[in-house]
Amino acid sequence: MKKIEAIIQPFKLDEVKEALQAIGIEGMTITEVRGHGRQKGHKEVYRGQEYTVDLLPKVKIEVVAADNRVDDVTRAIIDSARTGKIGDGKIFVMDVIEAIRIRNEDRGESVL
Amino acid sequence: MQPSGLHPHPAQSSSSTPADVLVSIAERAGQVDRAVAQAADELLFPTVPDGLALVAVGGYGRRQLFPFSDVDLLILCQNDALPRRHRPEISALLQKLWDSGLRVSQSVRTPEECLAVHEQNAELNISLLDQRFLAGDRPLFAALSKQFPRFVQSNRDALMRNLVRLTRERHTKYAGTFYHLEPNVKETPGGLRDFQFIRWMEQLRDADANRVTAPDAPAELRQAFRFLAGLRYALHQQAGRDQNQLTFDAQDALADNGAGKEVDHWMREYYRQARTVYRAAQRSLEQWDAQSSALFAQFVGWRSRLSNSEFSVHRERLHFRAPQQLESDPGLVLRLFEFVGRHGIALSHEAVNQLEARLARLREYFDEPRNLWPPLNQIFSQPQAPLAVRAMHETGVLFALFPGLEQIECLVVRDFYHRYTVDEHTLVAIQNAWAAPEKYGELLRELPQKGVLLFALLFHDSGKHASGAAAGYAGHVEASLDAAGDAMRRIRMPPPERDSVLFLIRYHMELSVAMRSRDLADPKVTHHLAEIAGTEERLKALTLVTYADISAVNPSVMTPWRSSQLWRLYLAVYRELTRELSEERIADASAGPGAELLEGLPVRYLRTHSKDEIAEHVALAAKSDARGVALDLRSLETAWQLTAIAADRPGLFACLAGTLAGFGMNILRAEAFSNRRGQILDTFVFADPTRTLELNPSEVDRLRATAERVVLGKLDVRELLKNRPKPKPLSRKGRVPASIAFDDEASATATLVEIVAEDRPGLLYDLASAISSSGGNIEVVLIDTQANRAIDVFYVTVHGRKLAGKEQSAMGEELRKACTPE
Repeated sequence: MKKIEAIIQPFKLDEVKEALQAIGIEGMTITEVRGHGRQKGHKEVYRGQEYTVDLLPKVKIEVVAADNRVDDVTRAIIDSARTGKIGDGKIFVMDVIEAIRIRNEDRGESVL
Repeated sequence: MQPSGLHPHPAQSSSSTPADVLVSIAERAGQVDRAVAQAADELLFPTVPDGLALVAVGGYGRRQLFPFSDVDLLILCQNDALPRRHRPEISALLQKLWDSGLRVSQSVRTPEECLAVHEQNAELNISLLDQRFLAGDRPLFAALSKQFPRFVQSNRDALMRNLVRLTRERHTKYAGTFYHLEPNVKETPGGLRDFQFIRWMEQLRDADANRVTAPDAPAELRQAFRFLAGLRYALHQQAGRDQNQLTFDAQDALADNGAGKEVDHWMREYYRQARTVYRAAQRSLEQWDAQSSALFAQFVGWRSRLSNSEFSVHRERLHFRAPQQLESDPGLVLRLFEFVGRHGIALSHEAVNQLEARLARLREYFDEPRNLWPPLNQIFSQPQAPLAVRAMHETGVLFALFPGLEQIECLVVRDFYHRYTVDEHTLVAIQNAWAAPEKYGELLRELPQKGVLLFALLFHDSGKHASGAAAGYAGHVEASLDAAGDAMRRIRMPPPERDSVLFLIRYHMELSVAMRSRDLADPKVTHHLAEIAGTEERLKALTLVTYADISAVNPSVMTPWRSSQLWRLYLAVYRELTRELSEERIADASAGPGAELLEGLPVRYLRTHSKDEIAEHVALAAKSDARGVALDLRSLETAWQLTAIAADRPGLFACLAGTLAGFGMNILRAEAFSNRRGQILDTFVFADPTRTLELNPSEVDRLRATAERVVLGKLDVRELLKNRPKPKPLSRKGRVPASIAFDDEASATATLVEIVAEDRPGLLYDLASAISSSGGNIEVVLIDTQANRAIDVFYVTVHGRKLAGKEQSAMGEELRKACTPE
């Protein structure tokens, strides 16, 4: 099992969700986050005052999938979240050692 | 393990409410009494003959046991040692009761413990108000119940204070409103717990040394209690457990049971009953406040001085001096709410009753089209306007004024996120706009027409009842526009205000949609939104509406993340609006007669001026062609306006600003544009603090003539200013630190200079002169004033290009000097 963690532009959330659902991924966790990668913050002037906007609003999507689905999932996210501009976000994939359904203590991929 | 029949079995019993729920819950208490006595006889009393009594307390004590409520059992013990010694027997008793399906909530106490104030466990003290002997050592219980009234009497304040604290905490948990979409019939404000609270407060208040009794509740409250108790009973039956939340599913099931009534109508009955209870609970809380604190009493005394010839303030509540006056002068009601909005003082219960008794008369009066916008605008612009509107809603006056809003009274719109009924959502949105924090609060303070904002919020969801599956979101907005349109016609709101209201309602979802699903970095998106908004003023109002509307969905929805998203969007659109101003010019106006004036003016000019205004400007321009200058000076409702069209020359804007300062006028807003033919169109809106122009018509002519001579270079503006008295410096507290910022990116052709400084007479002249004297040419100007803060934006060029770094620092130095004259 792998966990796929994608940081995307907020306005792409609906599209990404739909794309994941279209390939049969139902379970996901979504968090509103702030941060920056190479798209550093910038300064904005409003009414004669300067604001530093260094942490930009993003959305984090977390999906856990069976190993053989990882490529599908990342492909779906990339295709739906890409605008081609700086700030589109990143995807991280990591190993998951175990998954347990709390209700009945089922374990393994059947839980996903 | 399953029960010996003590539990009503959900599958067997009908889920409908019994004919008399009060009888049913008392019967159940009786059944439990017998079960407890039997189990105690069997397991406890054979070995524990004396010094222990079983006492029913809480809901059980007052014989109100719902099918699955906890059974509050007090095990009263002579001394501490007794329960330790007989632990096995007590455990056996409790176990037996549990096994028979009762959820026993027991406490083991000595009489001393029952007669002490428990700050940390106020519930224990309160539960003892409903004590009832069940079994065991009767003299022990008799001694407690003899001493208890004296204990209550001597600790009345502490007990009441704790009870009030618990109640307020509970209300806060439910956001202080009973208009929840899925209310908890026990805990939500206006629920069963509030009914008991009212009763307990009376018990505590009336207790004397000999007894604690509760007087009978008024019929209205008893009826509400019966209704709520019936609901709770049915909920328990339905769920088969202590389930008190009226979920959407439960609503469907129960409404269906009630003879096929529409669930919406059925819920409205719930809100009506909850309101009765909630109001009574509020009254009880207020009574407590009034009697509890000396400091409060002093403050209340001070507030009484606000009384006037029509209203009196007594104990922090507003009263009519002569309520019968409402019959002959129904407009009195609007002055009442203005008073509420101005001073934040709530209506007295008498005033509420007096209003409610005359609603039919008010409805009749408001039904005729009347010029009601000025008094309503007064109410809506007050610092405590949300409180006034809430009071109008509670008394029904709001619906008498705007029958269209009745459609959303207690209206339930089911969705996963919404927490409140539509009317409550509306009131919360208004509250949120007025209490908006930080930057959003700034936006509110900058809005010149708060009344318009409030009116738009009041109607933004007024068409929500029309949002069926077919109509959808567009349907709801259209219906809201219709309702607002009708209302505005009846109160004779002037057309410009009407337009603003309709604009805000039509686009109230636009920004939140953009936030969610549009790329805010995409210029097309911001350009589209800038086009919709048209001016900064409208953008600000729309941003506030969006902020208030989103945060009124439920208390946790406006996360810092969303708040910063919305602000980001606001900034992007704001910048787009300012960029457009300097870059997007009217290119081709050949069709119209005013082409010569219009070509080269910012595109925005067309959006912010009506056809009539443009026609007037065109006529003025024709005059100017002949004489080199043409001026129009006129009185607006609360200020004056000077419009000038002239051939441009360096320092012209400064000269006009200086002339007005020379006459002692205070400039509130200004804009300056220039067209392709090198003509300027400058508009100044200014206040006349000493009413010179109003009182001396000849001064109007003199001002116009002087301005003309200054523009034509026949008079040096410095001469005019020489004799003006120096302004007094403000106290340190009111000081506004000056800030000057240059922005090269906002516009492709000019450098934007933003200046925020403490306002004073002649400031604009000094700033404009500083720019001109450092070689700058003013292309576009936007001036705004908030209280003593001037916010001035100039688009400046030098020889037709942006300012170089050196030029910026030199000009900045001059401007800084102008902001702080010595």
